Amino acid sequence: MKKIVTISLSLMMAFVLMSSQQVFAKDPVKIGVLVPLTGIVAQGGLEMKMGIEMAAEEKGTILGRDIKLYVEDTQVKPPIAVSKAEKLVYKDGCKALIGVFSSGVGLALASNIDKLKVPFLSTHVMTTEFYGIHPLVFRSGQLANDQTAVGNVKGIMARPDLKEKTYYVLVHDYAWGHDAGQRFIDLAKENGIKIYNEEYDRAPIATKDWSSYISKIKASGVDGVYIAFITNVIPVFAKQMSDFGLQGKVKTISAAAPGPLELEAGGEACFGIFGASDWSWDVDTPASNKWEMAFWEKYKTIPSDAAAHSYVGAMNLFNAIEKAGSTDAQAIAQALKGISFDGPYGNVRISAKDNCMRNSAVLTETMAAPENPFGAKVTMKVLHTFTAEELGPPE
Amino acid sequence: MSGTFSIAIDLLLNSLVLSGVFLIVAMGLNIIYGLSRIMNMSHGALYAVGAYIGYSLVATGVNYFAALIITPILVGIIGLLIERTIILPMRKRSMVYTLILTYGLMFFLDGMIKHIWGNRPRFIELPEFMQGMISILGTQYPVYRLMTLFMIAAIMIALMLLLSKTKAGIIMRAASTIPEMVSCMGINMSYVHMGAFMLGCAMAGAAGIIAGPLTTIDPLMGGEMLISSFVVVVIGGLGSLRGAVIAAILIGFVQTFTEFFITDLAMVIVFIMMAVILAFMPRGLLGEGKFE
Repeated sequence: MKKIVTISLSLMMAFVLMSSQQVFAKDPVKIGVLVPLTGIVAQGGLEMKMGIEMAAEEKGTILGRDIKLYVEDTQVKPPIAVSKAEKLVYKDGCKALIGVFSSGVGLALASNIDKLKVPFLSTHVMTTEFYGIHPLVFRSGQLANDQTAVGNVKGIMARPDLKEKTYYVLVHDYAWGHDAGQRFIDLAKENGIKIYNEEYDRAPIATKDWSSYISKIKASGVDGVYIAFITNVIPVFAKQMSDFGLQGKVKTISAAAPGPLELEAGGEACFGIFGASDWSWDVDTPASNKWEMAFWEKYKTIPSDAAAHSYVGAMNLFNAIEKAGSTDAQAIAQALKGISFDGPYGNVRISAKDNCMRNSAVLTETMAAPENPFGAKVTMKVLHTFTAEELGPPE
Repeated sequence: MSGTFSIAIDLLLNSLVLSGVFLIVAMGLNIIYGLSRIMNMSHGALYAVGAYIGYSLVATGVNYFAALIITPILVGIIGLLIERTIILPMRKRSMVYTLILTYGLMFFLDGMIKHIWGNRPRFIELPEFMQGMISILGTQYPVYRLMTLFMIAAIMIALMLLLSKTKAGIIMRAASTIPEMVSCMGINMSYVHMGAFMLGCAMAGAAGIIAGPLTTIDPLMGGEMLISSFVVVVIGGLGSLRGAVIAAILIGFVQTFTEFFITDLAMVIVFIMMAVILAFMPRGLLGEGKFE
């Protein structure tokens, strides 16, 4: 009898242990997604979310476990983003954070990362302050301000009609805008490009009526304007420049790529915006074409660079967790260093030196779209492709 | 004409256009407060609703000028529904109740806008003849911007005629100063309040469709306009229509000129000005402000 009881208990114990192991094995890998779903960049936030969801679906599992995304709205407000990050890590048990639009929000999260103790991979933080900011903070997404400035200045230098122009610099009044404006001015001056206002203008983010600024541009007599605006404001500014008859007379160079849906809304008024970007659906490579069609099939909306950045960033993060072999924060961080992914805009590698990505990018100009499967009327036409080495920064 | 002169004309016209939009929104807010002591926090959202309705009408092929008439009527009807269902039951309670309720309504309307029209910006397609430029005193100025000045003037004239020449307008004016007397004359004050709320909302809708092509239409436009129109209302004096006219012109000019000359501090200066006026003239520039 004693023997039967002992065997039964042993079998039960073994069953319980096996079951619990199976439960652990099925525990998903929890990833916190921080995107703006309300506020001025809500459309971009939605596209970021789409890109990350698409990557998670494509990846399927990590370490044999499902991927579970916990999405939170940052409202593009640093304190809210930090409290949402705390909720994702402490309450939901997320092992890594991804996303974030706006340098102000990204810097706030980075300054709290010692408390959060998880890796944070930003996909839309362009400030140069992110280079080597913290061992747990990474960038794999939109070009940084110095990279965009290099692309834009190289683009201007390559075009005699743009090289001779004088540029008025107008930025959105927050961390990213200031950094983007200053980076361009410094590099432009080094290359002999004329800047009208080295003490560049800073417009409040809430600006809707740009008429006073356009009057200033008119009064300055410049023939070029360098703008660093949140993406969905670019068509608004372009439309008002067009209303005042400046489209075509004053060339617009942009530090950020406008979103495709915003370009569609702005229509012909958005033609002629020149700028460097990671990607546009006009990129004609097999990987890009495949990705944009998959995106179109899934969401039935024009594939955007915001979605592409987020997709690539998420793939780099998922692959790093797999490479780390665990969800330990330090192990993931170590695996992220030097990792790379071949996606819609070529090879995107996270530098082991400063935790920020290096990749090729394109120089684009907005114009009437050729026939396309998305029904888009405006495209960011690819004029030139830069290599990662050309854009830097050197390692 | 010298370049400086043409820029001065540009700035003058820009200031007038901005003042005009502020004026129509603030007038609506003031009519509602002046007659029924409701601080309508959803006024900015109704302005946005007007812009989106105007956008949808034009996008579906309705002529812009027809949309300019239909939009305020539709927003006025929305105002009627709000007044009868949300405001009326709270009429006898403290003003704080309606203030909080309309604040909640603002979020509801913002949410509805995002649900129906999405997050991306929209632009109202104008008739071709309104899209070009016109030469005025040596400067090239957008035709539509100039036309808004005439539209705003027409709305203001119509409002003044309504308030001074019609029986309903005379009752409204009387009710804003001595509501008890109007009530004693057998006039149902509930209908007066309803009419005032509808008129105020229609003004917000009219401002929305006029301002839409000037800037852009997005879900945040209402919140931003609410702040600006409150600045106008506070400087002009709560409930004072004459004060609102002067305050709107003042704010429009100060904002435009400071954006031009001292860009970084433009909005700071506007708010400092409001604080100073509030400190030394709590009843507004003309001393006509009404407090409850």
